[in-house]
Amino acid sequence: MKKYWQIFKISFEEEFAYKVNFIMWRIRNVFQIIITFFLWDTIFANPGTVIFGYDRAMILTYVFAIMIVRALVLSARAVDVSSDIGEGNLSNYLVKPVSYFKYWFTRDIASKILNLSFAVVEFTVLFLIFKPPFFLQTDIYTLLSFIIATAAAIAIYFFLLFIISAVPFWAPELGWGSQFLVIVVVVEFFSGSLFPIDILPVLAQKIIMATPFPYMIFFPVEVYLGKITGPALIQGFLISFVWVAILLFAMKFVWDRGLKSYQALGR
Amino acid sequence: MVRILKRYFKIWWMLTRNSFSVVLGQKLALLFFLVGKVLRFVFFLGFLYFLLVGAKNLAGYNAHQAVFFFLVFNLLDILAQFFFREAFRFRPKIVTGDFDLTLIKPISPLFLSLMGGADMVDLITIPPLIIATWYIASLLHPTFIGVILFILLLLNGLLIATAFYIIVLSLGIITLEIDHTIMIYRDLTSFGRFPVDIYKQPLQGVLTYLIPVGIMVTFPAKALMGIIGAGGIIISFLVGIAAILISLKFWNFALTKYTSASS
Repeated sequence: MKKYWQIFKISFEEEFAYKVNFIMWRIRNVFQIIITFFLWDTIFANPGTVIFGYDRAMILTYVFAIMIVRALVLSARAVDVSSDIGEGNLSNYLVKPVSYFKYWFTRDIASKILNLSFAVVEFTVLFLIFKPPFFLQTDIYTLLSFIIATAAAIAIYFFLLFIISAVPFWAPELGWGSQFLVIVVVVEFFSGSLFPIDILPVLAQKIIMATPFPYMIFFPVEVYLGKITGPALIQGFLISFVWVAILLFAMKFVWDRGLKSYQALGR
Repeated sequence: MVRILKRYFKIWWMLTRNSFSVVLGQKLALLFFLVGKVLRFVFFLGFLYFLLVGAKNLAGYNAHQAVFFFLVFNLLDILAQFFFREAFRFRPKIVTGDFDLTLIKPISPLFLSLMGGADMVDLITIPPLIIATWYIASLLHPTFIGVILFILLLLNGLLIATAFYIIVLSLGIITLEIDHTIMIYRDLTSFGRFPVDIYKQPLQGVLTYLIPVGIMVTFPAKALMGIIGAGGIIISFLVGIAAILISLKFWNFALTKYTSASS
């Protein structure tokens, strides 16, 4: 445990070593939130407008809640795993007495805490500038459900990222291409980080809700908003946990096979 | 002048062929990026469609008009990426000092740094995007003058995009930072996915004139729809000319700060 605490501290300090990179990354996040905010603000310009089951307060809370949930779920250093494999740097870790998965999970936690701290500051600043109507959830059970849903979301993203990052075991040139396709495009759209999934037609919603993607952003935020309760909440948790289990097994399977194919290219 | 242009076109053609050969050597990676870009475009278009089905209009613009703004944004974004992909590979040259090799060549270093290798993935996506833009434009029943103004303002938008890329390269020489600056530029232009009318003042004014995303994307689309005044058109061209002149001045200034470190 002590060694992971050291990894955590070093990772945290490393983020501060590249301040410009980190600040630029946060600025980009703020831009995305501003665009999304104004888009929905325009759509719900008339007070009393209800579209897709959302009123103005709910949709703007969704936009602001994305800031926090994104920082918690989608901030991850493990995006560098694919280049570790592609460039042969994985060998350095395999000979060390540390679990490679725990090593990256620890680094992810450090990244999430740092990003969350900045997201909270950005949230406050943007909130004071735009003064949007905000739906403050006070029900303790709903808040507890939100925390559980977010924890499952973090696990889903971590396992998915490790599965996608394993592609260079067999095709080193596809490291960035596979991440772009799945993490940048598919996760961005189907996780709900751009728009709530329930604005789509019912059939599309059903298909997307059967995948792991909406359980990363959309599900936790909807739980916070109190839009998913009772049997729907239990069903959501079940699907979410099943995906955590499936992705965990898939990750182990892919990495067992991948390590057998690993040739330490570039070393 | 014509001889110089011919020479530069020949060089560009050669560099582009080389760049395409590299990409074609990794066909599977090309396929992944192509599928990713097409999916991103289709998903966003789908989102916009379903959004407008529910909301009926966006800041007073109907579904066709809103989609047209989005298509014009994409067209400009992809054209700029196609021509200026080399800018994404500029940082290693500065960090390692390899930019020296660019400077000693009898060709403009700006030309080589900006247009030293077009992007094949973007080239594949340009024709269908032009067809889609043309189709949606036809549904807006534009006048002949509207079409001409649209093309001229789109070229003006490309000129402003060029100025942005030159400024990014210049900042790269001075600060050694390129990747995030380019992404921030792209994030800023992505404000133009929607008409700038959706943003409240003072952001709308900033996006129109200071970071002229509105002039780049919204104004050409508005010209085709016939909803832009003569003043807006004149300001657009003035901003375009000013942007390119300022960026060239900044590039020349940045060159004096190049230290040739590590070479």
